Amino acid sequence: MTYEIKEETGKDGRKVFRIGRDHLLELMKDLKDQGYDHLTLISSVDFRDRIELIYHLEKSSDNFSIIVVKTETKDTHIPSVTPLWESANWDEREQYDMMGVIFDGHPDLKRILLPEGWNGYPLRKDYDMSKVQFVNMDEEGNDYVSFDPGDGW
Amino acid sequence: MKTGDAGFITTTLEKAMEWSRSNSIWPLTFGLACCAIEMMAVQASRLDVSRFGSEVFRNSPRQSDLMIVSGTVTKKMAPRLRRLYDEMPYPKYVIAMGVCVIQGGPYNQGYSVVLGVDRVVPVDVYVPGCPPTPEALTNGIILLQKKIRNEADR
Repeated sequence: MTYEIKEETGKDGRKVFRIGRDHLLELMKDLKDQGYDHLTLISSVDFRDRIELIYHLEKSSDNFSIIVVKTETKDTHIPSVTPLWESANWDEREQYDMMGVIFDGHPDLKRILLPEGWNGYPLRKDYDMSKVQFVNMDEEGNDYVSFDPGDGW
Repeated sequence: MKTGDAGFITTTLEKAMEWSRSNSIWPLTFGLACCAIEMMAVQASRLDVSRFGSEVFRNSPRQSDLMIVSGTVTKKMAPRLRRLYDEMPYPKYVIAMGVCVIQGGPYNQGYSVVLGVDRVVPVDVYVPGCPPTPEALTNGIILLQKKIRNEADR
């Protein structure tokens, strides 16, 4: 092992690994080799100065026991785990959409729920709720976002 | 309306038109969220809305008279909803079903929710509730029928 992990026990007795961003991929590869074959979810917390990412991994051969991996980023960049688990693809796109985390190495990093061109990331603490945004549709059916209501509104 | 002894009825054309319109309101099959479940209950056999003339839910906006907006309207859905409304032939009516559609409801402070569908399309009848009971929606449809029948008097 070339990396250091801080191991904790969560409230419900689950194992929690804390790992620096630089060694996240190595740890994830090792965990996958140990049989953690299902990435259940990716979530994130905004602490204003940093964003913490939480990965839940499941092991189907061991009664779906769960391990939690926590990592954090200060400049919103984080390596993508899509090459390891395909299900990370849409989870990471959701984190990009809502929290603005940029996953390096993701094959198709674009917004998943909000239309392209939306200003800001709505689940961030510093998201400006006072600026109302409107979505309109052009003739081809493509969305475009603007701050003033168009013809349809 | 007068009935004659010879078995005929005299009325105005307007009254006859409103009478026939109000008794054949065909809604559009258009559910957005959980209120749509109650809308399905209205259409199903127990609370059969076809007793009041809303015979079938049409799958095409070109064949329907009434749009029941049932469920939270998001900002991304609003242009689509507007396009469906524009495709419906005149005369057309809109029922806003549920508190989300009326003013945003529990998502009032959200970033992605339209605060009232009346910002996008004109609404005839508001049915409050979260969700409204099927009986409330039936009442809303009957209210709309009364409204249509009064149109000629206005």
